[in-house]
Formats: sequence, structure tokens, C-alpha cells
Amino acid sequence: MADSDEEYVGGVTDDEDDLQVTRTDASQPRKRKQRGAAEWELSRTWETLVEGADGTISSTVEGLLEASKRKRLLKDTTPLQRGIIRHLILILDLSQSMAEKDLRPTRYLLALRYAQEFVREFFEQNPISQLGVLGLRDGLAIRVSDISGNPTEHLTAIQELKTQDPKGLPSLQNGLEMARGALFHTPSHGTREVLVLFGSLLSSDPGDIHQTINTLITDKVRVRIVGLAAQVAICKELCSRTNPGDETAYGVVLNEQHFRELLMDVTTPLASQKQTASSLLMMGFPSRTVEPTPSLCACHSRPSRGGYLCSRCGSKVCNLPAECPSCGLTLILSTHLARSYHHLFPLMNWVEVPWRRATSKACFACGLAFPPVPPEDQWSTTESQVKGMSVSSRYQCEACQNHFCIDCDLFAHEVAHNCPGCQSHSIQAAPEGMDTAA
Amino acid sequence: MNSVDASEHYELNATELAPSLLTIVLDTNPHAWASLESSLPLTKAVANLLVFINAHLACNYANEVAVVASHTTKATWLYPVHDDDVSQQQPADADGDVAMNGENGTGSQSNKYRPFRMVEERVTQRLKQLLDSTNSDDLRGNTSTMLAGALTLALSNINRRTIAWAEKHGGADLEDAAGDGGTGGGNAGGTGPGRYSASNDEERLQSRILIVSVSGSSDSAHQYIPVMNSIFACQRLHIPIDVCKLSGDAVFLQQACDATKGVYMALSEPRGLLQYLMMAFLPDQRSRKHLVLPTRVDVDFRAACFCHRRVVDIGYVCSICLSIFCEPPPDNECLTCGTPLDVGDFGSKPALIPRKKKKKKRVNGTSTVGTPMSTGTPPPG
Repeated sequence: MADSDEEYVGGVTDDEDDLQVTRTDASQPRKRKQRGAAEWELSRTWETLVEGADGTISSTVEGLLEASKRKRLLKDTTPLQRGIIRHLILILDLSQSMAEKDLRPTRYLLALRYAQEFVREFFEQNPISQLGVLGLRDGLAIRVSDISGNPTEHLTAIQELKTQDPKGLPSLQNGLEMARGALFHTPSHGTREVLVLFGSLLSSDPGDIHQTINTLITDKVRVRIVGLAAQVAICKELCSRTNPGDETAYGVVLNEQHFRELLMDVTTPLASQKQTASSLLMMGFPSRTVEPTPSLCACHSRPSRGGYLCSRCGSKVCNLPAECPSCGLTLILSTHLARSYHHLFPLMNWVEVPWRRATSKACFACGLAFPPVPPEDQWSTTESQVKGMSVSSRYQCEACQNHFCIDCDLFAHEVAHNCPGCQSHSIQAAPEGMDTAA
Repeated sequence: MNSVDASEHYELNATELAPSLLTIVLDTNPHAWASLESSLPLTKAVANLLVFINAHLACNYANEVAVVASHTTKATWLYPVHDDDVSQQQPADADGDVAMNGENGTGSQSNKYRPFRMVEERVTQRLKQLLDSTNSDDLRGNTSTMLAGALTLALSNINRRTIAWAEKHGGADLEDAAGDGGTGGGNAGGTGPGRYSASNDEERLQSRILIVSVSGSSDSAHQYIPVMNSIFACQRLHIPIDVCKLSGDAVFLQQACDATKGVYMALSEPRGLLQYLMMAFLPDQRSRKHLVLPTRVDVDFRAACFCHRRVVDIGYVCSICLSIFCEPPPDNECLTCGTPLDVGDFGSKPALIPRKKKKKKRVNGTSTVGTPMSTGTPPPG
């Protein structure tokens, strides 16, 4: 498939090449803009283009593509204590500024659509967490859905918002106060987080928002904001004060893609701050039953034949994870817990392979052929300035020393959370396994 | 089956259905196969599998197949082969020339449909290599199988083939599946459904995984997390995992099938392997919508505690590392991560405090029941 890739890029005319370059470069100013407009003006994207040995820029273009693919990946992989059990309030701006059409189709509709995707992804990544949704409209905070662990309730509630129109001014303070109230009773072993999708440039508050920020800090509520318009001073202060030392808590979107990225970043559990209390939780692991005749479930009072019986009181619930409606025991499957393990034991980042060490011919996992090693005198010319990209298109797992292609790198880190090399040989894995078995 | 004759003429038809990629994970644990020797020797099982693979390839001319061996010490590709030494044959549709150089004995099969022949040659050759390279040291005291590795390899290949297929066939799904290439990796979004969850299932390569399993699950405890990670990846990509269990029983394979909506069959009569394969495992995802599949319902979801490996109904979970314990650990310290745990507040809370409140409410309740009566009376008075 590498062949077809190269043919495609090499085959296009020069004009098209330019187009591609500008498109792929979009990721670069994006990053800079966050740091400040002055720096952004200085980015001359055309200067990063360097003619390859064959006189075309296709190699640089491919490099930029690869680097942008990998940019996301290079995150911190030191195993951290993360707050796996999360309590998050999603605050949606439903004020008139959301009617702007700078994001397609409108800020409002896009925000609602992404909010739904966020809810789905959030529960995929954090199955034993809780979520609630609030809205800011007409100077008031309105409750969209109550804090709960069931994604469908939130999804339908957000869906209903689509029929209404954004209206009035937002009040950040009211929203935060309501969120604080909703998070007040959550147990101390979980995290308390607020995520605001904020489209306005102002907050019309009834009181002093700085006092609200102080109470949020004492209540250990961490606020993250995704701004849709421009950076707002109070938002920045709010984020930096409630997330000490974390610069990424406030992000302003540049385009639809970036919006989505910022939002999806929040689905990864935060590294827990030291004060978080740890405790032992009592949980039930029910097994599934199928009854010959339908009976009502305790959670929705709907007749169903299948379901799970609470391991303490025997009430039937139809979906897991859930809290038993009659005795309050948390009911989960062991698979739900297993789903969070990759946050706790992340796969290490793979390293770029210089030509010197590029001994492999094909990706270990998918068999994609790597480009052959050029003669030694060309090594320096092909050395790319693009950060995060490997000159030899090879990426190496440091544990098993195997080489992989960029697609497998992405796949292993983002979807599989396993290294194909480490898992395929027991040389490294077996000793540990034997030890635990013995 | 008609597609063999007719489909080629409609190659460019817009309504063409996506072909399917069948990935077979073959458990080649020698211990387990030795115990099956009397009923189904490995050679026979492989022969049956090859017939099944041919049947799959015959369903649609564009169907693809991949075979991974999950051995005791390593997981390795049987087909397609990516090794350095055969890298010239690496493209999935390798020329016939190279294969002919390989073995002269295949001349008698020159009339065989080429894809059938290629798979057969490769799989048998590689399997032979694999078994020859296994020495007694590898086998001593090691009865597990590298299932996690095999699944991860299979998934990587599926990912590659899906991207390749989407690029080749362009159209709407190109943007979707390979979109991160064009738009600067934006929507790869790690977790982004834009790339990894099949939003347009019908249009992309239909992949599925069949695990032919013979080993028990008792030895794979240390593989638990990687195996579960692979299973969740499959679930996310809508790849069903089918399990054909010839001996032993593995709880997490049942969970895999249940989570990914695959078929789980434990064969009571291993000699009938081919029959089971053809009847239960041949239909692809599209056909399965119209079939009632032989899947078991009573999946074992119970968790085993980390401290005594006891199966628990109600367990205690460390809020930091999510380890499961059957009783509060000694010294109130998590056995896995060593965090001091706050144990005191859980047991009494659900049982005692609500009752107290209820009692209070009842007292109030009876009085409030009484008051309407008394408030009812005043008007006349």
C-alpha cells in the first residue's frame, strides 16, 4: 500500500501539491495561535518545505502528514494515578452568541452534536463515572439532565435541546454554582470536574464570580473550558486557578476539527491531585439472567426477560453499570473495570528510528514495507526538521525493539493499547507471568 | 455462492457490497492438541480449516483471509507472511512465480484456483516452520498461549487492510477512514469515532476474527489486561470475535463473544469441526443479521478477587487501581498499588443511615397522615 501512497502524491501536479501543503500545515499555526497571536504571525509555513533529493516536495508533504498524525500521540505516558471514578458536569452555553455561524452549521448545533459524541465517548472511556448536563440561557443556569451514569438519558436530553433556540446572555457564575451544588454530594474518592463549552465573550453574573471561584477551589472542583470564540480573561483565570499547574485546561477552538479534539481530550481521566482520598468501594458483580417470562425491571419498570439481578437485594436492572435502585449498591461487570486499565497502565511512546538503526524491512505488525535505507551520504539530507516524525518511517517500541509503521503506531496507542511486538513474544512477558503464577 | 460466477462483471457497480476479511487465530498449543490427538489431530484440523478458508474466499472474489498462530511462546503470522526473508512476496497478491520456486511438489496442484493454493501452501509451510522451531524447553511447564499477541497482530492487520481498502475504493468512506491523513490527523482524535468506529458499516471492509481455541484459560491470567484491551478494540471497531472452542473453557473468550456480538461454540464433538465451521462461522456480518446465531446466553461475568482468586458476587474495589478484593485487605492497604485505603465508611452507610432516616420520616409521616384528617375537620368547625 506504500506504493499506492507514493504514486498518489508523486502523481499530482505542482498546483495540487501546494494545496495539500497548505491544508496539512493548518495544524501548525493552530498550535501556535494558542500561545499568542504574535508568534502566529511569524510562522511561515512555506519555509518548512524543503525540496527532496529528487527535486519534489512529496517527501516533505508526507513527512508533515505523518508528523501531524503523530502529534497527538506524543503525550505523557508515565503511569500516573488517575482519577478513574469521575463526576463531571458538562455546561453548555445556550445563549444568543451560540447562534453564530462561524462553525458549521452553527455553533449551537455543532456544540450539541459534539456534546453527544462527548457523552458517548466519556462513558466508553470511563464506564464507572457519572455525568450531568447543564445549560446557560437567558442569564440562568438550566438543568438539562441530572447527574447519572446512564449515557442514553443525557443523549436524549441533549437531543431535545436541538429543537430550541439559543437565547439571552450566559451567566458563568450561575452555571458554576449549580454545578458545584450538583457535585457537592459526590464521594471524595471520585473527581469533581466541570467542563464548559463557552461560546460567549462575556458572562452576565448576579454576583462576584471570584468568590465562586474561591468556593470551587475549596470544594476541589476542577473546571475546564472549551471556548468557541476567543480567549476570555475570566475563563483563563477560572481554569488556571482550579487546575493549578495545568496549562491545557482552557482551549479556544480554531475550527471544527480542533473543537472536537479539545473536547475528546477531556474524556481521558485527569491525573489525580495528591489530596484525593482513596477508599475501598463496595461493588456488586451480578451475572446475567434470562427468565422464561418477562418481568419488570427495577430501574425503568419496563417488562424484559433478560437482566441482571443485584447481588445484594436481588432487584432486576436491565443495564449495567448501574446503581441498584432499591439498595444503592453499585453494580458493574468486571469488564467495565478492565476497560479503565489502559489509563492506569498506558503503552509507552515509541521512538523514532534514524537511518543508522533502520534494519527492518517491513512493519512488524501489519507487514507494510518500509522505504529502503538510502546510501549513507544522503542520510543528513533526508533528515527532516519536522518534529515527532521518523526519517525512516519506522517507529520502535523500546521494550521489544520491533519496528512499526505510523498507522500501527497510532492504532496501538489509540485503539488497541497493546504493543503487538511485546505481546507476541513470551521472552519478555513470560518471566513476569511465571512469577505471578508461582 | 453465485458471486463466484457473476460478481466480476459488476466490479465497478456502485451497489457492490464490501468484501469481508476473515482473520483466523489458530491456537497451536502443542499440549492441548496432544490431548485432542485421538479425536481431532492438528493436521486434520488444519485441513478442515483450509476447506473453510476456501469456502470463505469463494463467497466473494474480493474476500480476504489472514491466519495468525497463537503458540505457547509467540504469536506469529501464518498468512499473509511479512517476514524479511520472503519480503519480495510481501504484497498480498504475490506473483505465482515466487511460490513455484518454493516447492516443486506443488506442480500437481497447478490447476487449483490460485488464491486457494497460495493460502494452503503458505499456511502449511509456515505452520511446519513454527512447529519445527519449537523445542522442548519452550514447552516445559508452559501450557498457555499468546492469545493477546495474536489478537493484536490480527487487529493491526485489519486496521491496515481497512485503510488500504478505503483508499482504493475512495468515495465517502475515504474521508472517513483515511481522513486523518488528509486533514492533518485532526479527526484521528485518539478516541474519535471519525476514524475508528465504523460510522458507515455497510461501506467499509467487513472484518471478523475467528479464534480456534484449544487451551484453557487458567494460565492466561497475566495476559488478562492485554486480552481485554484487544477485546475492547474489537468492540469499538465493530469486529465480531467468533470462538470455536475445541477443548477447555475460557471465561474471557465468552466475554469477548458477548461484548463483540460474535458466535461462541464449544464443540461437543471435535471431529465435526468442518461441519461446525461451515454452518456456524461462515456467514459474514451482513448475512448474520438474518440468521439466528448459535450463541450462548449464560455468559459468566463473575469477577475473581485479586487476593485469593475467589469468585465474588460482592467485592471491594480499590478506587485508585480498581483491584478487586473479596474482603477488606489487611492493614487497609491496597495489595496491588499499596495505597492506604479508607475502609471505614462503606459498610454501614447503605444499611444503617437510610433506615434511621426512614424511621424519622415514618414518625413524621404518621403525624402528617393525621394532620390532613384534622385539617379536614376545621372547615365545619
